[in-house]
Amino acid sequence: MSLPAYAELHCLSNFSFLRGASHPDELVGQAAALGYSALALTDECSLAGIVRAHQAAKKAGLKLMVGSEMAIADGLKLVFLVRNREGYGNLSALITLARRRAAKGAYTLQRHDLNAVSPNGALPDCLVLWVPGAAPAVADGRWLAERFPGRLWLAVELHAGPDDAARLAELQDLGAACGLPLVAAGDVHMHVRARRPLQDVLTALRLKTSVFAAGYALFPNGERHLRSRLRLARLYPPELLAETLVVAGQCAFSLDELRYEYPEEIVSSGHTLTSWLRHETEAGLRRRYPQGEPPAVRGRIEHELALIAELRYEAYFLTVYDIVRFARSAGILCQGRGSAANSAVCFALGITEVDPAHSALLFERFISRERGEPPDIDVDFEHERRDEVIAYIYGKYSRERTALAAALITYRTRSALRDAGRALGFDVARIDALTASLAWWDKREQLPERFAEQGLDPASPRVEKWLWIAEQLRGFPRHLTQHVGGFVMSRGPLARLVPIENTAMPERTVIQWDKDDLDAVGLMKVDVLALGMLSALRRMLALVGESRGRPPLQLHEIPANDAATYDMLCRADSMGVFQVESRAQMAMLPRLKPRCYYDLVVEVALVRPGPIQGGMVRPYLNRRQGKEDIELISPAVDKVLERTCGVPIFQEQVMQLAIVAADFMPGEADELRRAMATWRRKGDLQRYQDKLRAGMAKNGLPATFAERIVAQIQGFGEYGFPESHAASFALLIYASAWIKCHHPAVFLCSLLNSQPMGFYSPSMLIQDARRHSVVVLPPEVAASDWDSRVEAAGVVRLGLREIKGLAEVAGQGVAAARRCGPFTDVADLAARSGLARRDLDLLAAADALSSLAGHRRAAAWTAAAVADGGVRRQGDLFAGLPPAESLPTQPATLPAPGEGENLVADYRHLGHSLRRHPLVLLRRQLAARRFLRAADLAAAADRALVRAAGIVVGRQRPGSATGIVFVTLEDESGWANIVVQPWLVDKQRRELLGATLLGVYGQLQQSGQVVHLVAKRLVDLSAWLGRLETTSRDFH
Amino acid sequence: MRVLWLALHFPLFALESLPLRQSPSAVVGRGRILAGDPGALAAGVVPGQKLSTALGLAPELRVFERDPAREAQTLAGLACAAGRFTPSVSLAPPDALLLEIGGCLRLFGGAPALVEAVLAACGEQGWSVAWAAAPTPLAALWLARAGGRRIVTAAQLPAALAPLPCTLPGWPAALVARLESFGLRCLGDLATLPSSGLRQRIGQAPVDDLLRARGELPDPRRCFVFPECFATTLELPSRVEHAEALAFAGQRLLAALAGWLHGRQALVRACTLHLHHDDGSRSALPLRLGEASADEARLLRLLREHLGRLTLAAPVEALCLEADEVLAQTGDSGQLFTEAMAGEGAAACLERLRARLGAQAVQVLGLCADHRPECATVAGDPERQPAAALAKPRPLWLLPTPQPLAERADGPHWHGPLHLVTRGERLESGWWDGGEENAAGDIRRDYFVARNQRGQWAWIFRDARGWFLHGLFA
Repeated sequence: MSLPAYAELHCLSNFSFLRGASHPDELVGQAAALGYSALALTDECSLAGIVRAHQAAKKAGLKLMVGSEMAIADGLKLVFLVRNREGYGNLSALITLARRRAAKGAYTLQRHDLNAVSPNGALPDCLVLWVPGAAPAVADGRWLAERFPGRLWLAVELHAGPDDAARLAELQDLGAACGLPLVAAGDVHMHVRARRPLQDVLTALRLKTSVFAAGYALFPNGERHLRSRLRLARLYPPELLAETLVVAGQCAFSLDELRYEYPEEIVSSGHTLTSWLRHETEAGLRRRYPQGEPPAVRGRIEHELALIAELRYEAYFLTVYDIVRFARSAGILCQGRGSAANSAVCFALGITEVDPAHSALLFERFISRERGEPPDIDVDFEHERRDEVIAYIYGKYSRERTALAAALITYRTRSALRDAGRALGFDVARIDALTASLAWWDKREQLPERFAEQGLDPASPRVEKWLWIAEQLRGFPRHLTQHVGGFVMSRGPLARLVPIENTAMPERTVIQWDKDDLDAVGLMKVDVLALGMLSALRRMLALVGESRGRPPLQLHEIPANDAATYDMLCRADSMGVFQVESRAQMAMLPRLKPRCYYDLVVEVALVRPGPIQGGMVRPYLNRRQGKEDIELISPAVDKVLERTCGVPIFQEQVMQLAIVAADFMPGEADELRRAMATWRRKGDLQRYQDKLRAGMAKNGLPATFAERIVAQIQGFGEYGFPESHAASFALLIYASAWIKCHHPAVFLCSLLNSQPMGFYSPSMLIQDARRHSVVVLPPEVAASDWDSRVEAAGVVRLGLREIKGLAEVAGQGVAAARRCGPFTDVADLAARSGLARRDLDLLAAADALSSLAGHRRAAAWTAAAVADGGVRRQGDLFAGLPPAESLPTQPATLPAPGEGENLVADYRHLGHSLRRHPLVLLRRQLAARRFLRAADLAAAADRALVRAAGIVVGRQRPGSATGIVFVTLEDESGWANIVVQPWLVDKQRRELLGATLLGVYGQLQQSGQVVHLVAKRLVDLSAWLGRLETTSRDFH
Repeated sequence: MRVLWLALHFPLFALESLPLRQSPSAVVGRGRILAGDPGALAAGVVPGQKLSTALGLAPELRVFERDPAREAQTLAGLACAAGRFTPSVSLAPPDALLLEIGGCLRLFGGAPALVEAVLAACGEQGWSVAWAAAPTPLAALWLARAGGRRIVTAAQLPAALAPLPCTLPGWPAALVARLESFGLRCLGDLATLPSSGLRQRIGQAPVDDLLRARGELPDPRRCFVFPECFATTLELPSRVEHAEALAFAGQRLLAALAGWLHGRQALVRACTLHLHHDDGSRSALPLRLGEASADEARLLRLLREHLGRLTLAAPVEALCLEADEVLAQTGDSGQLFTEAMAGEGAAACLERLRARLGAQAVQVLGLCADHRPECATVAGDPERQPAAALAKPRPLWLLPTPQPLAERADGPHWHGPLHLVTRGERLESGWWDGGEENAAGDIRRDYFVARNQRGQWAWIFRDARGWFLHGLFA
């Protein structure tokens, strides 16, 4: 018997979340291996997996059909298959319709959605399979046949059930009664039978139960896989199999036919895209260079415009330009990054401030001729005002034509373990214990060990299955959520290009494709990102302007090359400064000693896991300090590396090296970049390494150099930092550093008002500012607004926002009421500000009523008796109590709290204290045990054995420093940096993780101005703090 | 008669209600540690800690989710046991008992002796306990919570209460915070402020609590009612494989039984310890006394003897002690059984039948939603609700184990060649319990309805090993 030809018309991938148990590429690969004539991917009301399937099908040479399974609300189940581009648009629009009217992840399709829209019936240019239920009704068949004349089949899906022969006969009768042709289909849920356990697990998870309890909801067997044609021939009559080819033959659509069209309205009338981009660029150039642009810049402009025109990317640049122009008009600070962003054209258009005259960036990185992918420009906006930009985009292009790109959330080790455990019936505490213990230290390889520690025998059958299922589940898609800010816009209705669905946020919609899918299909995405520092910076610029009685300062008005600013950075005095405030960056600053803008660009990129693991840091520093010679390789190579002392530091340099030293085409170099980003996961770097070696050998470069480059690229891995991003960041570093240096009060005030952001707590920022002679005044109802403000030069009055738990509406109310006149007493404050009792309690506890009611105990006593200002918040325990006026009250005299009690209350209600540092109170005790102050550590000699103690304000375990934990201790003099090596981490976990006041016996390590204390022993002194509540910011 | 309340506070109640657990272990609720055993504390695990931190400190920590239902049951068991000392016991959930001992002091030779006896009994059962005795229940409770360990007279009461912290009475957090904002840390501080002003700021309830504790307001307590019949279950946090190890857990149950008997003025002649095994099966260990008794020590000796001879068929997950024959102390046969028979439904009847005949002897045929035929019906537990009826053709009679069939050239044989009547029904399911004891595991079979020449209808299947007969159609 020769094998019959077969096309599978009904197949779900794991993009039918918690149903399909195989990835789209697995399905495509298996269908091709089995010699199927075609495969339709018909995920439930979704096209989310179709791009991946399309790519796999092209690779495997298999015909792929696009379709979707959908169930009407009354239970009727249909599979739609796309015949052509028109049909694709119709299906995509139908999916959008069904998705948009339901909550995230769900859909609703009604019968009337399938009313005929044309003489040809409903959903033109789509074929339809009716998947009959257990007891199909003839009436349903006739109803469908009316709507899809000549395009409807009855799907016969036989899965070796109790009586397939009877089922077949029943469906044949039904087909005859409705006048419908029959066709074989598989209702495929997995590519091979072996996925049955995983499919069962998914079913159990979907039903929120375990496989033990799922019962008949599980499929009775594993027949819903891509079956061999031999097996199909035994199960189905030949004519039903032959009919699959008839159906497949009518479907001739490929995703390659999708042609993306940019929006039109970005062009002024009378212009083409090209002429408008030229027009705006020239106008921008005149603004940027009033005296005429340098010839080099002119050359780059021409090169870029030609490349943009050739690849027809004008609309992309103009779209970004349009958004940026809106932001500027609304006074929203923004900045583009990425090499397309840092092009000369973008500088002219105002998308970036990075002057092309000062950099040699590689334009090919984001615009690659060979791959035909759209360029990528990320634009950062103030994090508090990004929503305005998003509203503008929705307003301009309407919801019909724009949506956010999706981000595909997939199972990670932790979530896979959790769900697999749940499906296998393990109890919640057990699962939590296991996954929680994974959070902070461990790697995947240690899983069996962790199981054992939880009293679970990794060799027991049930636990073995847990591990095995979790392993398979890893990487499976779970749901679609919104990309951080990637917008897709189109000329026509977007829903005809890709389905749109709802997110958890009511005002946002996402398309069903993520950024990789968009790349593959050639859709344009504009990244609208949020950056906290821009919010802070906008405040700083405004305050600096205000202090001079002028409008806000502009970024480009900040004087360049300010020596005092660089001096400050060289001292690592950078707390709060953008990017270079982390501990690793602070340690690098005194070694690198930045003296100009470009040094900052290097600084940003150098302190990254890539260059650290690639061994670039030491050679670079040595050569920079003249301790080592810069070796010359060849003129072309030297030119690429000259700006970084012959050491490749940026991603772009690696690409350029590949081009000039190993004869890569620019597009190939871009592939290399992508390979670098993923080799740890996919390991496909070998090909490029061979080509690099061969190319460099051919160009006569020394083999040692070639090997070094290859090794560095490998070390770089996914952590290489692009110069084009560093260049944009460096501008923000300089601007924020300049303000910290010259306007420390403004700096503090703006950072506080932009919280939460950055690396340090408000408490640390305040202490740092006070050390820089800023006078900080406590929050006080008689003086404070909601935000902190600069009361006088160098004086910051903290805002009521610093009070923990106080509602913004309450704080704003106080400020607004005070503008009408000062408060006479607490009752007046409550009545005029509309405060609830709880707000009054909080104000009293934070010592913010001192002007009206004396010390905090007296204030609390007074506040507790005042009637609320008409506002009751939920859960007010004291809501039923009568206000003071109605009862005669004996005056009470409460003793003033002591310093210790005030400190405790300050820390609890403000998170910091402006009084003496708690450690001042403990200093005698500490000194008796020979603990030094942080500031005195530097005075001790290198390698000296010393002791330090302080409040733990940060613990950090960077991925690049294997096993080391960095701890920051605070005392009245400042901060001490502690290094805890892995042996000690294991030995003294308890002290390390548990102590709030930590004593460290260790050895000093000094290099330049950087002082570390390498811990040898840890002592938990927390009991000395008594009831003081401190917090540590832990990063890992 | 002088009223004296003895408060027993079990500070590690949540943890110690799980006997026989391995160390280090801890009880968690909402992702935070509630209590840890000494091993956990030694590793730095403290109450209030986040679970992830605790596991960072002690990766081998065993954790158990807090279970209020289990704790309530355990507290009731403790109340039963306290019946040995006094008939008036009150629950002070979640973790304390109040015993009114003023009436029975003479019986035990004075308060110190009685307290000593109570503490000894708690210690035998493995409870950490803090105690205090006072003329009012609330004062006793607060002092016990504060770790008082003393007997306070009415005259000493105000002085004893004054230094207790305001956090102790378990008032709402907002109230405690407010007191602290006034600088009031301990109960005595409250008296330093004008009482009308205080009431106006913190409401009536805390002030009343203080008055109750001092005995200036009445504080009636609801008495624990000893249940009509005794059957109590103790779940074990980890599986126990050796019979001897069960004695400790059994002791708690017997102590509860003894207390219950005292409280009801009754004796027991026979009781049964039901062992719940981890494979779902149960076995019973009947304990029959030569003469009716209420003596815990005697019951315990008997239990130890039985356990010494017992080999466990499977590890034990839970114990249930049931009093079967209870006599009033006058010597009459207990009325439990006869009373129960009148007007009770089938379920209760079944319950009693099972209690009398043993769990294994009475079974019902239940349906269980499982694609595997051998798992689809359970010889079962009558408490289990029957699943939805099967929609597929299945024989009523399944062989206990499939029987291999002879296979000839024309196919399988059973009393002659078998003619296959249906196309194969494929069943592949059950991977989840593969490799476990007494489990069906993963099956992969094609089932057929077949008929032989005698006209017998058989349900047969073929799998990787060959043909098998699995059932007969009636």
